[in-house]
Parts: sequence; C-alpha cells; structure tokens
Amino acid sequence: MTDSGHKHTRAARLAKYLMGGPPLLFLLLLFAVPSVIMVLASFRYPGEFGGLAPLTAADPNTLQGVTLETYQFFFSDLIYIKVFIKSFFMALATTLICLIMAYPLALLIALSPKKNRNLMVLMVILPFASNFLIRVYAWMIILGPQSVLSQLVNNFLHLFGNAPVHLLFSPFAVLIAMVYVHLPFMVLPLYSNLEKHDPSLLDAAQDLGANGWQRFWRVTFPLSLPGIFSGSALVFIPVLGMFAIPDILGGTGDMLIGNLIKEQFIGTRDWPFGSTLSIMLTIAVLLIAWLAAKLGGHRGHYA
Amino acid sequence: MIWRVLLLFILLFIDAAHADDVLHLYNWNNYIPAQTIARFEASCACRVVQDYYSDNEEMLAKLAAGASGYDLIVPTGNAVESLIRQGALRPLDKNLLPNLHNIDPAYLNAAFDPSNRYSVPYAYTLTLIGYNREKIRELDLTTDSWAIIFEPIYLKKLKGRVTVLDSQRELLAAALKYLGYSVNDVDEVHWKQARDLIIRAKPYWAAFNASSYIKELTVGNIWLVHGYSNDIFQADLDAQKANRKFRIVSSIPKEGAVMALDSMVLQKTGSHPDLSHRFINFMLDGRNSAELTNLIGSGNPNRDALQYIRPEISQNPAVFPNRAQQVRLEMLHDLNRHQRRILSRIWTQIKLK
Repeated sequence: MTDSGHKHTRAARLAKYLMGGPPLLFLLLLFAVPSVIMVLASFRYPGEFGGLAPLTAADPNTLQGVTLETYQFFFSDLIYIKVFIKSFFMALATTLICLIMAYPLALLIALSPKKNRNLMVLMVILPFASNFLIRVYAWMIILGPQSVLSQLVNNFLHLFGNAPVHLLFSPFAVLIAMVYVHLPFMVLPLYSNLEKHDPSLLDAAQDLGANGWQRFWRVTFPLSLPGIFSGSALVFIPVLGMFAIPDILGGTGDMLIGNLIKEQFIGTRDWPFGSTLSIMLTIAVLLIAWLAAKLGGHRGHYA
Repeated sequence: MIWRVLLLFILLFIDAAHADDVLHLYNWNNYIPAQTIARFEASCACRVVQDYYSDNEEMLAKLAAGASGYDLIVPTGNAVESLIRQGALRPLDKNLLPNLHNIDPAYLNAAFDPSNRYSVPYAYTLTLIGYNREKIRELDLTTDSWAIIFEPIYLKKLKGRVTVLDSQRELLAAALKYLGYSVNDVDEVHWKQARDLIIRAKPYWAAFNASSYIKELTVGNIWLVHGYSNDIFQADLDAQKANRKFRIVSSIPKEGAVMALDSMVLQKTGSHPDLSHRFINFMLDGRNSAELTNLIGSGNPNRDALQYIRPEISQNPAVFPNRAQQVRLEMLHDLNRHQRRILSRIWTQIKLK
C-alpha cells in the first residue's frame, strides 16, 4: 500500500477523487446528513401540527428547547422493546427461510452450463419487472378464503378434523410475502459468490477422499460465507423496516417497527418520537451487524 | 428573425396566461365526478388540476412538510381546525358565495370553524356498521348497536369475518361510544377501558383495514365491517354489478357514531382566490353537489341538492339520517400532541396484544 502510494502521480490522484468523490458526496448528503437531522430532531418537542416545536419562542408558555422526553417515553413502557423483538424475529425467520430456499437455487445456477446461467439469473430478477405493491396485492388473491390454495389447505385440514384456517390477514401471510419479495436479494449475492469457486478445489477434496457432503460442508460452504453474510444483510435489514407488507396482508396483531415509525410521522404527527424509534432501530441493527461480524470472523479462522 | 422572437414571446405569453388559469385542488381520491369538473372548466375557461390524499393525516403531514400552492383543500372538520390554528388558511369572502344559503344550517357554524370564516361544507361520511344483509340474517344477529363489533357473544358467530378501520381515532371513537362516552372524551381512564374492550374483541376480527374491506365485502369474504358510509355504498354497488346474491347495507348504531364533515377551504399560499371562490360557489349549486352523492353515496349538506339525488340514496337513513339519529352523531376534534402520543402507545398495545 505505502509503496504504491509513492508512485501515484497527480493525475492518478485526481482520477481517484473524481471517481470516489461523487459516491462519497452522495452517501454524505443522503445518509449522514439525514441521520444527523434525525438525531437532533429526537431531542426536540413535537410541533402541535407535525414538524418540530421551535427551539426558541417569544412566548414563554409554548414548548421550546431540547429535551430527553422521547427517550424517557421509549423506556417508560416495555411495549416498544416488544415491537423490536417481534420485528427481529420476523426478520430472522425471513432471512433463514430465504437462505434455505436460495442456497440450492444459487448452487444450481452456479453449477449450470455457462450459457444457461444468464437466463436463469434473469428469471430470478424477472419479478422486479412488475411493481412491488402489485405483487403484494396479488398475494391477497392467492391467500384469500376463496382461493384454490386456501381451499386445498382447509380441505386437507378438514380430513384430519381440524377447523378451517384463514391464510390472509395473518402473520403467515406477512412472512410468506416477506420471503417472496426478498428472495432474489439472497439468491444474487450467493450466486455471484458460488460462481467464483474454483472447481479444482472440489476435485482436490475428492482426491483426498472427501465424500459429497464433506466436499460441500468443508469446502463450498465455508467459501460461500461472505455471500451468505451479504445476502442475509440484504434481506434482514429491509425486512426490519418494512411497513407495506404488514399493512396490506397483516391481521390484527401484525405491527412491526416499520409500521410504528411510519405511524409516528403520518398519523401521530410526532416527529421527535419517530426519530427516536429510528435511532433505536439503527443502533440495534449496528449492534447485530457487529455481533454477526464477530461471529463471522471466528468462523473464518476455523475455515 | 425579429418576428420569430416576437412569436416566441407571444407563445410564452399565451402559455403563461394559461398557467394563470389553473385551479389546484387537493382532494380525496374519487371525491368529485369527472363531468362536474369538466362543466366547471367549460364555465371558467380554466383547468382544474387535482392532487389526491387518502386520509387527513397524510394531507396534514404533506402540508407540514412544506407543500404549498394549493388553491383548495377538502379536509375533514378536525383537520380544518388544525389548519385554522396553524394560520394556513385564507378567510372566505362570503360576497362571492351567493349559493351558500343552499347549505342546511345544521351543518354550518360547526365547532371547528365558528361562523364559517374559512370553510364551506362539501359532503359528509358517517362511520357505521356495514354488513352482508343475507349472512347477518342467516346468523340471526342484530346490527343496531356497536355490541356486534365488540361483544364476543355475537362475534363468536362471525369469527374471521369482521374488519374494523385501521384508524386510531375512529376505532377508539366507536369503543368510547359503545361505553357511553363522547367520541372526544380524552380521559385516559376511559381510553384504557376502550382499549381493553378492543383487545377483548380483537381475536374475533380478521383485520384492521381501511381500504381493501370494500372489495372483501363485495366478494363475500367479510360479512361485517366498521367502515365509512360511502365505502359501504361502493361495496353494495360493486356487489350488485357482479350479480352477487346478497346486498351490502349499513346501519347507524343506536349509541351514536362519528360524522366526518368535509369542507372546502382555501390554502393561504394558493394564488387564485377568485377562481377558488367561483369553484366553491359552483359546487354549492344543488345540481353539481348532487352529482357527487349520486356517484359515491356521500352525505350531502346541500338542501338544494336533495331534489337531484337518486331516491334510493336520499331515502337511505344511513346516508341521510333523520333528526333523531343526527343528534347522536359527533364530529371528532383534534387531539393535542401529548394526547396523540398517549393514543399512539395505546394503539401499539392494542396491536401487539
């Protein structure tokens, strides 16, 4: 690194800034600045009509200045922690199901003849061609009580003397749509990782007497861990913030953090508390990412 | 060359003149018939451009975030109150509204805008019980009380076939009414009673739903809803169109219900106050006002409109309640920020239970 640094000419350095600058600026403007605004907003009072109460007001009777009350409110009732825990379990379940479904598929694509791979990847991406909300609404029809699926399930349950179940407006409906929507985000990173594996490693393992399972578990799987981690992050984090799917397909109990935060900004017009919830969510996600990185790091050593 | 420049200027000028005659209307979805708009455009030689919202909170949030330049908005009473207190509205010039006398005085001078300085009633909806008439008859249930929404003895027969509005205020209001309180009661103890009532009934409900219940009623998946009168009307129209063997009807519970009176107001930042007044006066004409009611089954505060409204709507007590029922209807008032935060927490508790 240091050696090559000396060799950098002015032009090369300029090129580096020109290439790295815009994305950096983009991140700064659209991630760092809003985050700072959010942190500042969380210490303010809510405005009567939405927005924030003024920092200083001429009238001493109006609420003004900074406060810790949103944080006190957050910790004053366990209910918010419960929403977090519930959302984490939903995100975890979605991630695991996506992983279990995506891994064989990604492996299949990676092991296919080269000329078929692009077509297969295209088919994974194809659902993106239609709008996300339309695809979620389609699930309302698929899971509705008069759908073929519902009737099959309920006829089957009836055979064993069980009462009919409602598929739509349930946590099950939310989970199924979460998995459906996020599956490509797991398949693609896994595929791009698996595709790069050197087949000679598996040949070597076979020569050394490893059976099929051992070749997978001791060679392919450890090498695919980076793909698993990036795929999991791409699924876990968006699911954690998702509000549209529980809104549309969820039943009477399906509130996730995304819904709660959205409600603070729209229905309750309480921007400071909404900001506090978002910050708590960011902290929780960073904590999980840090934990995952630590765990992942250990695994890496053993591999 | 000079002619071209001149021509360009003339074209620009014409375009600017056109741009001057655009009325910006921020309205509910499907809340004005296309032919009414077309007639107004013909009469004023202007264009009406609409933006839409699907609830008051969304509209208020958008305005709070700085949206400006709307000439007219059609908010519900409590949102009008909030906008007045923010100083976001322009006072009306009643001299420009000769048709104002068409409005039934019962709908004037509401608490949210005493003596109608800022607002002119447009239409109203009631929050009531809507149901599949044949199914409810089959199950031998009565729908004259909120009890059917909240009491497990009735709900047992309807498990998974009921939806309630996904709205903190509306659901709380129904529960408060059933408990014998005002919809505007802000006593936290009463709110907690309402919460417990809702939590007890919740296992029997299919969903909190504010939009797709219309379709679910039409299809026959859902048999009973806590919903808006014009949505229920829409569900019935759709069911008839699809030749269903049932009708969707509604009833006003005897404990009373929420009435939402939507009014036309002028946003202060709008740039066409004269045109806006002309539009309001145009909509106050009975014939124009009746078109909306005929299209979506909304309640109509315009006395002159009644003669143009289809009799099956004008004689429907759930659209045009009689005096005895009117007394038991209440409009929601705006909550302050503290109350909103407490209600949001109660709502979270309800959802998570």
